[in-house]
Amino acid sequence: MALDRVVAEPILELEGISKSYGGVKALTDVSLTLRPGEVVALVGDNGAGKSTLVKTMAGVVKPDKGRYTFEGKNVSINGPSDASDLGIQTVYQDLSLCNNLDAVQNLFLGREQTLPWWRGGRIQRAECEVRARQVLRKLRLDSIALDRNVGAMSGGQRQNIAIARSILWEPKVVLLDEPTAALSHSAAEQVGVLIRELAAHGLAVLVISHDIHHFVIDVTDRIEVLRLGQNAASFSSKDVTGERVVNAMVGGEEGINSAG
Amino acid sequence: MSSADQGLETTFKATAKRSIADRLANELRFVPVAVGLLALFIFFATQSEVFLTSRNLNNLMIQSTVTGIIALGLVFVLLTGEIDLSVAGTSGVASVFMAKLVVDFGAPVGVAVFAGVMCGVLIGAASGRWITLIGVPSFVVTLGVGLVLNGVQLMILPRTGRYNLLNTGVDEIASTTISGTGAWIIFAVAVGAVSWVRWSSYHARKSQRLPASFGQMVLLPVAIIGGSLLVLVLVLSSLKGLPMPIILFLGLLGGCAYLTGETRFGLYLYAIGNSAEAARRAGINVNRIKIAAFAIAGGLAAFAGILAASRILGVSVSSGGGIGGGALLLESIAAAVIGGVSLFGGRGRIVGVLFGAMIIATVSNGLNLMGVANEARLIVTGLLLVLAVSIDRGIEKIAGPS
Repeated sequence: MALDRVVAEPILELEGISKSYGGVKALTDVSLTLRPGEVVALVGDNGAGKSTLVKTMAGVVKPDKGRYTFEGKNVSINGPSDASDLGIQTVYQDLSLCNNLDAVQNLFLGREQTLPWWRGGRIQRAECEVRARQVLRKLRLDSIALDRNVGAMSGGQRQNIAIARSILWEPKVVLLDEPTAALSHSAAEQVGVLIRELAAHGLAVLVISHDIHHFVIDVTDRIEVLRLGQNAASFSSKDVTGERVVNAMVGGEEGINSAG
Repeated sequence: MSSADQGLETTFKATAKRSIADRLANELRFVPVAVGLLALFIFFATQSEVFLTSRNLNNLMIQSTVTGIIALGLVFVLLTGEIDLSVAGTSGVASVFMAKLVVDFGAPVGVAVFAGVMCGVLIGAASGRWITLIGVPSFVVTLGVGLVLNGVQLMILPRTGRYNLLNTGVDEIASTTISGTGAWIIFAVAVGAVSWVRWSSYHARKSQRLPASFGQMVLLPVAIIGGSLLVLVLVLSSLKGLPMPIILFLGLLGGCAYLTGETRFGLYLYAIGNSAEAARRAGINVNRIKIAAFAIAGGLAAFAGILAASRILGVSVSSGGGIGGGALLLESIAAAVIGGVSLFGGRGRIVGVLFGAMIIATVSNGLNLMGVANEARLIVTGLLLVLAVSIDRGIEKIAGPS
């Protein structure tokens, strides 16, 4: 396709990744490529291996076999901090936000700027807030009230804060686990706009989603289908229908897998 | 359209529009308790002519200091979603240990007090380490630790069951009063510290060109705190001066408020109390923060025990509330909870402890003046606790989920 020739060099490549838990094969010989500026959907039925693959990229799961290449170099990832050091950030489905803290406190949690202890050790709230405003504005999220507890915010706003937090320290790759699950249609649309914004800023984005017909087709550039722990199909989102993607997920004509 | 050239000042305008319920559930959480305290004051003032005299107010505040200091430490533990039921036991053991060092070994008062406080810190840190290492619920561990401490207290007491601290120097801690110029220097230091903290927050926002209101951020809090302290100093100066227990309680209160409200450690207490998992994923060493919280609770409890020993001129089997912590333990927890600190973690402010401890002392003192028997005092305190938590819950519901 014409699109493939103009896109950038891959930033993250997985080749021949296999992982089993006891006798159960979660992933068999799976490959995946992410490029800057591109949004890739990772779809598949329950148990297809999507989460295991994302956790492999995030350094939470160590694969039994396979090659992990980042910016053209072979890397060995031994934990989540290795992945985040490379510039890979993950937003998990439960968002990991603290509901009793406000947006700025959540954005900077664990990474606050403070004065040295001999000057009182205070958190430099103003500096954090300026930075938060810049990032949120860049992502067109100006409507978020910075000093409100995130527990009092809508699901879409919370999701957006979780995503904004992942990009606060300028990563190169963002992995999103089900960002639109449990969101209303309009909230999911807002999140979709934000994801496009990330790609427009040159990030490589991977999204796990079940919302094939709306979210995946509309927001992503490419769709990678996993089935029973293996690569089943790859589509360009432009010229595919939801039906074809779902068929690839369940492995054949309509109805066959749903019966058994 | 003009949306492209909006400045930082005009965007994020939702910041200013927060409902009163929302603010009551957060930074103004102490307001209902303060109103409750005021109502109690008015009620008792109409019931007893003695109640509003300087002498009585002086006694009332001194009564609240031991419970209050234990409650201050408890807040650190409660914020992380844990509880420490051994604080009363810790205060008992630490005070007996301190007395033993002074009476049996002739240790200097300063050394003995320091050793007693460190003993509390170690007990708290050990409980915290055990809780985080094994993952046993803190109420079970600290319940057990409390009983162990009661046993230890009986063991280290002499056969008479009592150490007398009269004329040992320990008694001077609680009996010291500061009057005249000294009192006004303390007043100036306190107001200066509050002003500096508030002003530097305001100044940091201003210099970053963030919206900041001088009235709300500096003037109002400094006026309220400064005004209250002014009244306090005037009232107490009409007697012998500022009693040391009150100075110590308010000083520790300020220090704890700074630690929980302004520092990273304090923020992490709140984060852990809401979601330990989220805190862990953000790179916070959850266990270390929890152990530190228990250590602070132990240290403050020990200090409160020493202060109590100094006031009543001795330690005995009933130091630290007696077996199981008794009324001392329950009233310390009640002071924190009435002050708006949640038992489920992540909610509440240090300043609430001041009001919580004062309410408990006021009920006790006021009913005493009215000649009401002790059993009524317990019933009223218990009902106030239930009422305070219910009001808190109501505000939370109106303010929305959090």
